[in-house]
Amino acid sequence: MASLTVPEGNLITPEIIETRSKSSVSDLQSQTGHSVSPDHNLTPQTMCPAFGSLRVLTRIDGVQTAMVTDTGCLYGLTFVTHFYAARKSIAAPAFGTKELVAGNVAEAAIAACIEASKMPGTKLVAAISLCVAETAGLTEEMLPRQINGVDVILVRVPAYAIHSHPEAKDVAINALLKRYAPAQTETTEDGVERPLTYDGSNEEEEALRRKVIMLGEVFPADPISVDAVLKRLGGGLAATLPSRNLDDYKLARRVGAIAAVHPFYGGSVATLRAAGVPIISGAPVGPEATYNWIKAVAAALKLDGELAEQVAAEERDKCKAIISQFPLRGRVMVCGYEGNELLYARLLVEAGAEVPYISTSIQKSLYTAADEAWLKARGTREIVYQKTLEQDVRALDRYQPDLVLGTTPLSAEAKQRGIPGMYYTNMLSVRPLFLSAGLAGTIQLIRDALERAPRYAWMREFFEGPRPTAPAGPAPINTMD
Amino acid sequence: MTDLNDLPNRAPAADQSRAPIELIRDLESTSGYWAAVWTMCTLPDVHLICDAPIGCFNLVATAVPDYTDAIPHIHNITPSVMREQEVTLLGTAGAVRRAVEALRSLHPDKTLIVVSTAESEMISSDHSDWLSKLDPPVPFFWSQSLEGDEWEGRDRALLWLWNRFGRERAAPLSANDAQMVNIIGPTYGCFNSPADLHEIKRLIEGAGGKVNLVYPFEATLEDTPRLSRGAVNVVMYREFGEALAKELGRPYLFAPMGIRETTEFIQQLGDLLGTRAQADAFIAREKQTTLAPLWDLWRGPQGDWFATTEFAVVAGRSYTEGLVRLLADELGMKLHFASGRPRRPGEMDNIQIRETLHKKQPAFLFGSLNEKIYLTEAQAKATHFIPAAFPGAVVRRALGTPFMGYSGVVYIVQEMVNRYYDLVFNFLPFDNVAAAGQPKEAANPLTAASRLVWSEAARAQLDRHLEGIPWISRISASRELRAQVEVYAIKHNLREVTPDTVEQALAATAAQR
Repeated sequence: MASLTVPEGNLITPEIIETRSKSSVSDLQSQTGHSVSPDHNLTPQTMCPAFGSLRVLTRIDGVQTAMVTDTGCLYGLTFVTHFYAARKSIAAPAFGTKELVAGNVAEAAIAACIEASKMPGTKLVAAISLCVAETAGLTEEMLPRQINGVDVILVRVPAYAIHSHPEAKDVAINALLKRYAPAQTETTEDGVERPLTYDGSNEEEEALRRKVIMLGEVFPADPISVDAVLKRLGGGLAATLPSRNLDDYKLARRVGAIAAVHPFYGGSVATLRAAGVPIISGAPVGPEATYNWIKAVAAALKLDGELAEQVAAEERDKCKAIISQFPLRGRVMVCGYEGNELLYARLLVEAGAEVPYISTSIQKSLYTAADEAWLKARGTREIVYQKTLEQDVRALDRYQPDLVLGTTPLSAEAKQRGIPGMYYTNMLSVRPLFLSAGLAGTIQLIRDALERAPRYAWMREFFEGPRPTAPAGPAPINTMD
Repeated sequence: MTDLNDLPNRAPAADQSRAPIELIRDLESTSGYWAAVWTMCTLPDVHLICDAPIGCFNLVATAVPDYTDAIPHIHNITPSVMREQEVTLLGTAGAVRRAVEALRSLHPDKTLIVVSTAESEMISSDHSDWLSKLDPPVPFFWSQSLEGDEWEGRDRALLWLWNRFGRERAAPLSANDAQMVNIIGPTYGCFNSPADLHEIKRLIEGAGGKVNLVYPFEATLEDTPRLSRGAVNVVMYREFGEALAKELGRPYLFAPMGIRETTEFIQQLGDLLGTRAQADAFIAREKQTTLAPLWDLWRGPQGDWFATTEFAVVAGRSYTEGLVRLLADELGMKLHFASGRPRRPGEMDNIQIRETLHKKQPAFLFGSLNEKIYLTEAQAKATHFIPAAFPGAVVRRALGTPFMGYSGVVYIVQEMVNRYYDLVFNFLPFDNVAAAGQPKEAANPLTAASRLVWSEAARAQLDRHLEGIPWISRISASRELRAQVEVYAIKHNLREVTPDTVEQALAATAAQR
């Protein structure tokens, strides 16, 4: 693996991860400390972290979920899960003071798992352990690995320990990978233990070794366009995780590489790395990253290098042609809580927008480093991880943007000020993003939003009255505080 | 690894030493913590601090009220944001203290209230003592989130607000207040409350009353003592609010649903306020105006259909009883089942409702998202689902969609009749325009069906399948099911349809969906 030549920053080998993670431990801790600064960072922005897990798990065919938690939590989490199309009845034990005093948290969890396993066609029951159950001490050993022939896994997502819902997606996927694609080791002739990887010893395995699995929740059109590009190189896309199909998780150890297209799958990546699967970071977003990504995937899959160069350059040029036809003009704040904000920001910057401020719910990690460096070299002033609403609102004051792609409270604040705003989660996550095809759609969405500015101003004035004194044009960017 | 055969013995029911585990499906009522937030945050001069991990804050303040109350987010609440170190080591007092200090400087004009959550109660974070020693003291509300449901929770929160911020400063009732009426409820998270509230105000004014305070929804914390100036209290919901009304010690009425109850409500309110003549005149006028469409529909062809149509209700206590009163008692529709919230002994829980709906579906189902899921699971295309309760994403902010009062009677009947029209419109199989140019046999394989023979047993089998389908839809459904069986038989070159053919065909069709 060390002999592969790939563009700098894209391929993360086990060795690189080892050294980088050692050096970045203290850096990470400083990001997660809890303190309220003098300028009041009170309101972290994320969906309930557990939602990330629940969303991934309820969408898999043949998976039923059992939630071990209190009533308020159960009510809220099932509500948002069904809002996003889960439509799956969810079992739970009643779990209040009475049950806690009795101390039968494991029995309660098992009872709910048995109820969940009764649904015809169930292959897996995921017991989801939330704050209250975690505090009561529910552990993996307390649950059987199977109930009546149905697999059981424990997914532990207490919101107090996992700080964002993207990172809880990683917890769910990692739990599935550990069950369905566990690392296996072999001992070589000279007595060295190493991960047992698939070597392509038959035709099916050979074909799988030329394919990649994308790790990251993407719009359904993205995998299709990625697969089409990789097929031109003699490779392909084997699956995208999270997937609706449980079998896709079983493939993860057998493919040629994993492309972690979102930066918050650290746990899953570690599991797959231990299984000896090469990992590629970054995503095919915007001309430059698209070019690099195609070449990195081709290198990891050991596909034809010359052909990869040609296809990557073609795709890059297509992106550039779209941008030159529809360039973006304006100042945009990218402030979602989905964990993929840096990717969108890259695309907007390459398309001509000014993106001075980016914020996200996930923590800073080695997987965000390359995008952060790229963006900061191209005019981004601030990138805030594990952000709060207060930080975002102060940025709104400071940067006076033309468009805000934000959380619901931030978008509402922007619209309150007559600035176009969109809820990042509902508007951007439901569109293709990758390669030239994704680029075109995203740029169009942003252009339209920028052009709607007079409507936002009119609506604000209708409800709130004329501004006392209207500043002329966007204010210059102040220095950072 | 656990021995699988051992599992039933490990199941809690077999363990005599402990109470059996109660199982829940798809919760319909949330917790006391949510109730406290949704009650107290309606008061704009309050700022709440919830002693919560980030998830408990996000769900109650943003993610859910976005889609129940159609608001961007609840702005006057801040979490303590407990993290692992607070849960395992430090306790949450430090986190709460930081929030109190910050919010004091940000919102000096607001009353801060700290509320407990399931997780803070779990780690016994009772802050009442040290918060009471601050200057000024900060009230602490133990929301009983691990015990109570949202209905008792709202009751407790309302009583607490009155006892803490109202009772001592309350003025006695004066002669000027004789026609003053309070409305107790709604809070955030009360289904369809803007339209119902609008209608109840209209009825109160029609009966000769004046609305004094809509508490808490249109009040401030500062207004709380003014509750004592209501000569009569109208409690919006059977689910909560009565405890406060009793405490206020004045006569109270529940907001009405259905024709008779609405009429009695106006009359009784007239008696209590000394405006009976005005109330009677209002009722007479309403019959000519607001309520006239019901009389017209009753006399028209639409009225005939009520008695043949079945419905079911799963909703809050007020809506459940109100809809049964209106639709079954007054209009004569057939009641399949009803289950109110909070649930009473003998009423079906969600596990039973799910099983019931999987077996047989009514023509109309008033319910929440949960019932909608069960209908989806049963592929019940012939049932009209009408949202009537949370949970569920639905905008009910228009003032013209009430369920309560005379306006509610007309709105509900109008909605049902319109859906009945839809049913009639879709009554016949659709002649597919796209397939018009194709050869007859290919476009409609049933042209070959005339050669098929149905056994008596097969016909009976098909009828059994039809029994689960609402009556009005059975005719078209029978045609559809019959066609499915015949297409299957033709494909498999069968000459005769047997009960087995029916089962196989319907199973195959269901699998294709």
